[in-house]
Parts: sequence; structure tokens; C-alpha cells
Amino acid sequence: MKKTVICVLIILVAAIGAGAAYYVSNSDAENEFFAMDTYVTAKIHGFGAPAVSEKIEETVNTLDTSVLSRQSKDSDVFKLNKNHGGMLSGNMDSYLETMLGIHEKSNGKYDFTLGALSDLWGFGKKPAVPDEEKIKKALDLCGADKIELGKSSVSFPKGIVLDFGSVGKGIALDEISSELGRTKIKEAVVSVGGSVLLYGEKDFTVGITDPAAENGYMAVLTLPACCVSTSGNYERFFEEDGKKYHHILNPENGYPADNGIVSCTVVSNRGIISDALSTACFVLGIKEGRKLAESYGCETVFIDSKNNVYVSKGLKDRIELTADGYTLKNYEG
Amino acid sequence: MKDKLFRKADIIIAAVLAAAALCFFLWQSYGSEKTVAEISVDGKVIETVDLSAVTDAVTFTPETDCHPVIVAENGTIRFESSDCPDKICVRKGKLHRKGDSAVCLPAKTVITVRGGGIDALTY
Repeated sequence: MKKTVICVLIILVAAIGAGAAYYVSNSDAENEFFAMDTYVTAKIHGFGAPAVSEKIEETVNTLDTSVLSRQSKDSDVFKLNKNHGGMLSGNMDSYLETMLGIHEKSNGKYDFTLGALSDLWGFGKKPAVPDEEKIKKALDLCGADKIELGKSSVSFPKGIVLDFGSVGKGIALDEISSELGRTKIKEAVVSVGGSVLLYGEKDFTVGITDPAAENGYMAVLTLPACCVSTSGNYERFFEEDGKKYHHILNPENGYPADNGIVSCTVVSNRGIISDALSTACFVLGIKEGRKLAESYGCETVFIDSKNNVYVSKGLKDRIELTADGYTLKNYEG
Repeated sequence: MKDKLFRKADIIIAAVLAAAALCFFLWQSYGSEKTVAEISVDGKVIETVDLSAVTDAVTFTPETDCHPVIVAENGTIRFESSDCPDKICVRKGKLHRKGDSAVCLPAKTVITVRGGGIDALTY
């Protein structure tokens, strides 16, 4: 009997030890918080997941208040706007180089200097259609082509307002991805306001929001590790005199982009690219947008106002329509 | 006398442990049948609602900016109203599927229906 008791005890201790080791190396953690004027969710799996999920929150908050925010007086972007330029620190030179590259390749349709125009429309506060004259004046204060980017400094005319709203979420995903690379996390899914980071060696499923429905998704993409961003006209908009006005502005005329697209999803290895290109492609339209995305090696899903769904070659076997009323189309068709 | 590898007592202990494990997994899988919604304000869960059990309307009024009014009714939950400027949360309508969520950013209030078949939603 004594031997039996010893055996059972040994087995119990071994089992508890193995269980504890398994738990620590495979623990799960979820974190949800508000930052960058949006909602962030992080689902983490792997060694030290709880601590990593807390660290992600710290990373996003620091990035927002110290680097990207237009409003935070301590941020690099605030100081650059106040001084019409200045010395660049951290990764700011790389961010600006990437953004200026997309501006150039999109023939100016992607513009991250629309701060004055965006403020005029009042999105997020009390939105209203501005006077045409005011729009023209605001457009004079916009234009990424007026930015002079040097090796470690930048300068631009007074009145130009850098606005990282179209890339901030993607930059956050890139910073988080780098952070995860320094840990033993196996898998992670992080959403910064709907821009999604998929991290780990497996296939993940990502729903594309249904523009026609109150909620839910119209298709599911099955994707390996990457970043996914979507721009659409169905969420942030207001109505005036029976007409809808959404928040993605065309830098050519100062009005919401209107080319028949309701949603554009871009898949890239880098968050800054997927985020910026989703806006750029939305403004450019299907034909030009697709070309721009291809030049960056990105995959795309466009949905037009007639519920046609245009999917790039690399996603054709990775998409499943899950809502009625949508039709898959070829780009040429 | 040579000891047997397993005695009767060992087998009984193993059987009891196996039965306990089976009960645990059955309980777990039964629990996941429920559709549960969580209401959180600034990252903290303030209400958990079993939508499977909700028939008559139940109203929640979290004490936060924009005074959102949340109603659970007939297996669904929604932002009934909010004083926020863009009303994105109200336009989300009724949530009932696992994975559905609606966010009122100015009120830092989120409704999430737990569970769901996809890893993430892009919007």
C-alpha cells in the first residue's frame, strides 16, 4: 500500500508540474482598450501572454501620445506641425518616406496633409457640408508635394497639417509585430480599429465587414501572417439634405471620394502599407487602385455599390462569400 | 509475494479521475452553447448578459459620457441611443451572433457577443 501511495504522489506531482509548464508556455491573454481614438483588441497565445498583452497596450499608447497624435502636445507630429518641420527621431523618417512614396505613386490621390480640410468637414465632432469657398481655401493648405524630406529632417510651408490618421493604425500593427518578434508568443491577433495584425505560423480567418448590413461580415478571408486594413464609406458618415457624406476625402476637389466603391480591403506584410493603401485605393477606384496595390505586392478586395466583389489573384482561393446578394467578379469583367 | 503493477485501489483512483475529467469537458461544452454578451466601459466589463435567456427587454445605462442606452431583448442586444455625434454604435443595430460587436468610441463603451467562428473582423 505504501508503494501505491508513493507512486500516486509521484504521478500527481509530475502531472501538476507538466500542467503548470504547459500552462505557462501556452497561456492565452486578451486585452481590450481605447487608444488612438479607436478601439483596440489583442488576443495572444504563447509564453508570457498576459505580460505581452499589457506591453502591447503600453506600446500603442506611447506611439499615440509621443509620436503620432495631432492633438497631444508631447507628440512628434504635433511638434512638427507647430514648427512646420524639424529634426526627425525614431522611425519618423521611414514613416514619411513610405507615405510620400504612396502619395507619389498614387498621383497625389493619397494625401496625408488634409488636416485643415478634415477639420473643416468636422468629422467626429459636428460634421456639416462646408461652403465651397472654404473648401478651396482649405485645399490651399494641403498637399504632400509641398513637403521637403531630408535625411534626418523635414520641412513644409506654414498651414500644412500632417495627419497620420490614414496610417496610424497600420504603424501600430508594425510596432506590435516587432514587439511580438522579441517574445516567445506563438500566435496573436490584434485589431487596432479594424486594421488587423495576424501573427504566427498558421492560417487565420478574417471577416470583411458587410457594408450593406447593420452588422456582421459578407466574406471570410483565410490568411497566413500579415496585416489587413479596410476603408469604407458605410461607417463614418453623415446625411445632409438627403445625401450621405463619408469621411474619406478626395484631395483633388475636397469632397468625399465618389467612384462607386463602398469598401476596399488591402492585405500586406506591413501595416503602414495596408492601412495607407486601403485609403489610397478607395480614392483611386478599382482600376487604378488595383494597379497601385499590385506595385506594392499587395492583395485587394473591392466591393462596389452594386455589391460586386473584385478579388485579386492571390486571394481568389482564400475568400468565401458568406452573405447573400454579393457576386464575385473578375477585374476585367 | 511479488507486487502487481496495478492494484485495485489504483484502478479505482484512475476511474474516478477519468470520470471527473469527462464531467468537466461535458460541462465546458454545455457552457459554450450559451450566447453571452458583455458590456464594457473603458476596458472593464460592467455587465454580462445571457442572451439565450433574454426575452423581455432589459435596459442598461452605463454611467459614462454620451449616456448610452443599451437594450437586450429577444436574444439580441443593441445600442438603443447615445448622445455621441456620429451614432455609429446605434447604426450597428441588433447584435446576436457570436463575434458581433458594437463600439461607442466617445462613451468608451463596447458590446461584444462572446465566441464566434472568425479570428478577426476588418472594417
